[in-house]
Amino acid sequence: MKPVLRLDTVCKRFGGVIAADNTSFSVLPGEIHGLIGPNGAGKSTLMNLISGIYTCDHGNIYFNEQDITQMPPYERARLGIGRTFQTPRFLQRSNIRDNLLLGTDLSNRFGYTSAFFGKKGDDFESELNKLMQYAGFSFDWDDDISGIPFGQRKLLEIVRSMLAHPKVILVDEPAAGLNNSEVDNVMKLLTVAAKERGIGILLIEHAMDLVMNFCEQIVVINFGKVIASGNPEEVSSNQDVIEAYLGRQRNAQN
Amino acid sequence: MKNFTIKKLKIRPATIIVFVVAMAFILLMPQVNSGYKMLCLNLTLIYAMVALSISIMLGMGGQMTFAGVTMMGVGGYFTANMTSGRLGFAIPTLPALLLAPLFTALVALALGLVLLRLRGTYFTFATIGLVQVAWSFYSMNKPAFGGYDGISGVPKLDLFGFVPADYNQWFYILAGGLVIVALIIERIRKTQFGRSLAAVRDNETAALTLGINVYITKVYAFAVAGAICGFAGALYAMMNRYISADTFTFDVGVRYIIMAMLGGVNNTIGCILGAVLIGMLPEWLRVLQGYMQFIYGIGIILLMIFMPMGLSGVFLTALKRYRKKKKIKLEHRASQTAAEKGEA
Ligand SMILES: Nc1ncnc2c1ncn2[C@@H]1O[C@H](COP(=O)(O)OP(=O)(O)OP(=O)(O)O)[C@@H](O)[C@H]1O
Ligand SMILES: [Mg+2]
Repeated sequence: MKPVLRLDTVCKRFGGVIAADNTSFSVLPGEIHGLIGPNGAGKSTLMNLISGIYTCDHGNIYFNEQDITQMPPYERARLGIGRTFQTPRFLQRSNIRDNLLLGTDLSNRFGYTSAFFGKKGDDFESELNKLMQYAGFSFDWDDDISGIPFGQRKLLEIVRSMLAHPKVILVDEPAAGLNNSEVDNVMKLLTVAAKERGIGILLIEHAMDLVMNFCEQIVVINFGKVIASGNPEEVSSNQDVIEAYLGRQRNAQN
Repeated sequence: MKNFTIKKLKIRPATIIVFVVAMAFILLMPQVNSGYKMLCLNLTLIYAMVALSISIMLGMGGQMTFAGVTMMGVGGYFTANMTSGRLGFAIPTLPALLLAPLFTALVALALGLVLLRLRGTYFTFATIGLVQVAWSFYSMNKPAFGGYDGISGVPKLDLFGFVPADYNQWFYILAGGLVIVALIIERIRKTQFGRSLAAVRDNETAALTLGINVYITKVYAFAVAGAICGFAGALYAMMNRYISADTFTFDVGVRYIIMAMLGGVNNTIGCILGAVLIGMLPEWLRVLQGYMQFIYGIGIILLMIFMPMGLSGVFLTALKRYRKKKKIKLEHRASQTAAEKGEA
């Protein structure tokens, strides 16, 4: 199967910090692909490089084998690269409806003028109703987004990205700060995205049980470098990985 | 599990009140005023259009611009040149009124493509430069703008045979124009363009990853705002029958910003209200004429401290609080009846 997303020797430096060091891996359609590593390893940086918020110093990024290394972020989003953020990003001054409609707008990019004159796109309501069954909570349309608890906002961000019908979603620590039932709902949404809709998922997550249970493939990075990759068994028995994580624990104890 | 359906047409009491007040205002004003008072009121309606153009750029898109006054000039001079016959030809007034916003939008588009390469404050400062440069052209270039003498002899608007005889009749035309502009802006707010602008304002990174071309969205907004100012300028030229550079100074431009700020920069009714208040204040406070600058100054400072979202902001916050209270009360009552039922 052709990968939906492929990184080829991607490099990124911030001053003296090497955040991505010759990183290569690929994500298949319908696959949940874990991206793990200690704090500051460069995981979020990779997502920013893939979505185009940062530009690569070196190397290439391919979407369905099309080189998108030089493409601006909004065009990558239109191709089908969705994402969520480590801390959710919403329009603080808009209500929930407008915030979610932005997701639908992305799959209906027929231009501001035709939209102004009433051209209709996807059926927003039924699509949203379907997704909210998995998200497991409801809300009032006109409520401000700022009144929504953190965990639900993280869920809503995944919902928003799915409303756009992407081919791949980059999910940055979806479970951090969530309670157990919210984590369950996150994983339900991501499973639906991958298994029913064939969306490739690149998942950053610190909770090891989630990563080991849900990911088919895992890539481990440390100091921007890939130190291991493979299926959960291979990765969890890898000596470098154990060291990187044990080393982190030792540091934490000091 | 609750299902989501967008309420198709829910008319709230607030909407009805606004509508009734606006209709009363439009019908009553020409009955109780005339002459100079009416002229002031008419000018106020034109100002309100420019204030609304600022609400697109600043209120919806978060981009502070002073260019409104200049764009109004573009529309005004275009109309004067096209209809007065000073260039050796004259087109009828109605086509001119429709072409003016189009022409202004094109000018704004070209300027926006350049100026909006700059971001945030740099863009704002560039628009200040634009206002000054444009004013120099308006006041000194004779062939295109009539120089210091301006351009006179602009014919009155002929609306399918209806030619306004006095300022009272002009009022209806301008009120109609303002309602059209307000409706367009409310429509923008509810469609893709409005949401994209809100995203540009609140979170550029999120906007980019949601497929929004931030730069082009700003340029598009600048062009739409320009079209509205051009429309205002055309109406101004036709009502005033004369146009000159004094109308398009930086000082006047700042007043449009104050109008939008006073009413609430992201609220259509607020912007109109702000324009009426600032426009009529010198009339209502005749005795204080000499102190107007002082009053404006103090007013702006107090406004920014106590109500940064303007009059409409204060009103909307109160309304929201009231609705929330009502909702909590209803929920409380529902849970109480449920509890009573349980006991019984
Ligand atoms: N915009 C930036 N400017 C400078 N340095 C940056 C920037 N973004 C990231 N870095 C640095 O790059 C390194 C990797 O950061 P990144 O956020 O990608 O880590 P992470 O793996 O996502 O960590 P965490 O698990 O804590 O979220 C860090 O040392 C960070 O300080
Ligand atoms: Mg991170």
